[in-house]
Amino acid sequence: MLEKMKEKVVQTQLFKSVFRHGYPDNELNQAYVVFSNIFLHIHPVKVRRTALRMRYTFCLGGITLFLFIMLAVTGIWLMFYYTPYTGLAYKNIKDIQFVIFGGNLMRDLHRFAAHGMVLFVWLHMTRVFLTGAYKAPREFNWVVGVVLLVNTLILSWTGYLLPWDQLAYWAVTVGTKMASYTPFIGQNGPWGAQLGVNPTNDLMFMMIGGTVVGQNALIRFYVLHCVVLPLVVTVFLAVHFWRIRKDGFSGPL
Amino acid sequence: MSSVADQSQNNNSGVLGPTEQSRRKFMLAAGWGVVGATLAGSTFAAYKYLFPPILYEPPTVFKIGHVTEYGLGVDERWKLKGRFWVVRNMRGIYNMISICRHLGCTPNWFPDQKRFRCPCHGSIYDVHGNVRGGPAPRTLWRGQITKDPVDGALVVNTVIRLDPNPAQTPQGLWVKEKVKEVNPFWIEHVPPSGASCSSNRLLC
Repeated sequence: MLEKMKEKVVQTQLFKSVFRHGYPDNELNQAYVVFSNIFLHIHPVKVRRTALRMRYTFCLGGITLFLFIMLAVTGIWLMFYYTPYTGLAYKNIKDIQFVIFGGNLMRDLHRFAAHGMVLFVWLHMTRVFLTGAYKAPREFNWVVGVVLLVNTLILSWTGYLLPWDQLAYWAVTVGTKMASYTPFIGQNGPWGAQLGVNPTNDLMFMMIGGTVVGQNALIRFYVLHCVVLPLVVTVFLAVHFWRIRKDGFSGPL
Repeated sequence: MSSVADQSQNNNSGVLGPTEQSRRKFMLAAGWGVVGATLAGSTFAAYKYLFPPILYEPPTVFKIGHVTEYGLGVDERWKLKGRFWVVRNMRGIYNMISICRHLGCTPNWFPDQKRFRCPCHGSIYDVHGNVRGGPAPRTLWRGQITKDPVDGALVVNTVIRLDPNPAQTPQGLWVKEKVKEVNPFWIEHVPPSGASCSSNRLLC
């Protein structure tokens, strides 16, 4: 009876419209399962046998992707209770930790996954470097990877401010002060003062929306952390995976 | 289970023994059981996460002082803070929620007309909360009013409300006072000295 029900389901127009091929009971359709599925086609059409060995990649990029998805999911859960307002942010964090059911779990998952993502991006890049996988024709994908690394670090740093505790405040104060030493566009940087750059028109002012870390900085970092940077990362991830599929895996045959 | 998989890890006969078969069934059931329990548990946790056990909302319970602090008639001192009126008559004291029963606007008290009038669609209520005109389908709510057991001050709870079914009369929608002047929506108290029924006909 189950067989009959399955037959009925896979013959419907709905099934065909979703999967774009027949039920995988022959070799052609079995190939199409991977071919035409956005979630499965991350691997190139042809993969070298050695490249699939666990000890060649250690699946470091895959772990990084998994952590990014986990951060997106837990981050959305945290957004239900977090308000980017200086009078509430810290209290919201405390409520998430001590009052909301499962809130502490969500926050810890988000925090540890964030640390993990930074770590695994580095490990992934180390592996790519050591196996020479950055060489032609994959050199552009290395560049995309560097963009993703920088975005990961900025995501980590912007998320750092959101709990609005002493650690967050001073970390971002120090970080943005460093930006004020940028040449030409920083108030303290070389040739900054000579060009008329002052505390109200330099890079640090643009980053935190003021001369000290306050409400404007919090909302800016919140928007960057929750909307802008994840979108940028998603776009570059798509390019990254597309290039993997086009260029194939590195390594000996 | 495909027949290929069955044959590949089997003895020469190509058929599973009864022990092997039941073990495989058990493992399958156990595996799906774990998957199901995980899904059910995380669904429950996600559901519970959306119901915060703590709320930061405006208060709904107000300590409003003693009866003697209020004169006869409608008192509007709690309207902004608590959205209710305190009304004292010759028999005691009660409160009415400042929410129009038509679409929830806040009516105004006109002392000269002795009427509550809603600015939105013109509902009119008298001092007892009965409807005297306009589209309102019910009489005004009365909130719970009790005495604090420690100092005897009045405590109004605007969430617990009295809402009797009104009767249609030539004057409008009407509920008898003795239906509404009941515990815990009503505190009995002697009238202030010097007050008489002849000068306060409405509050008698």
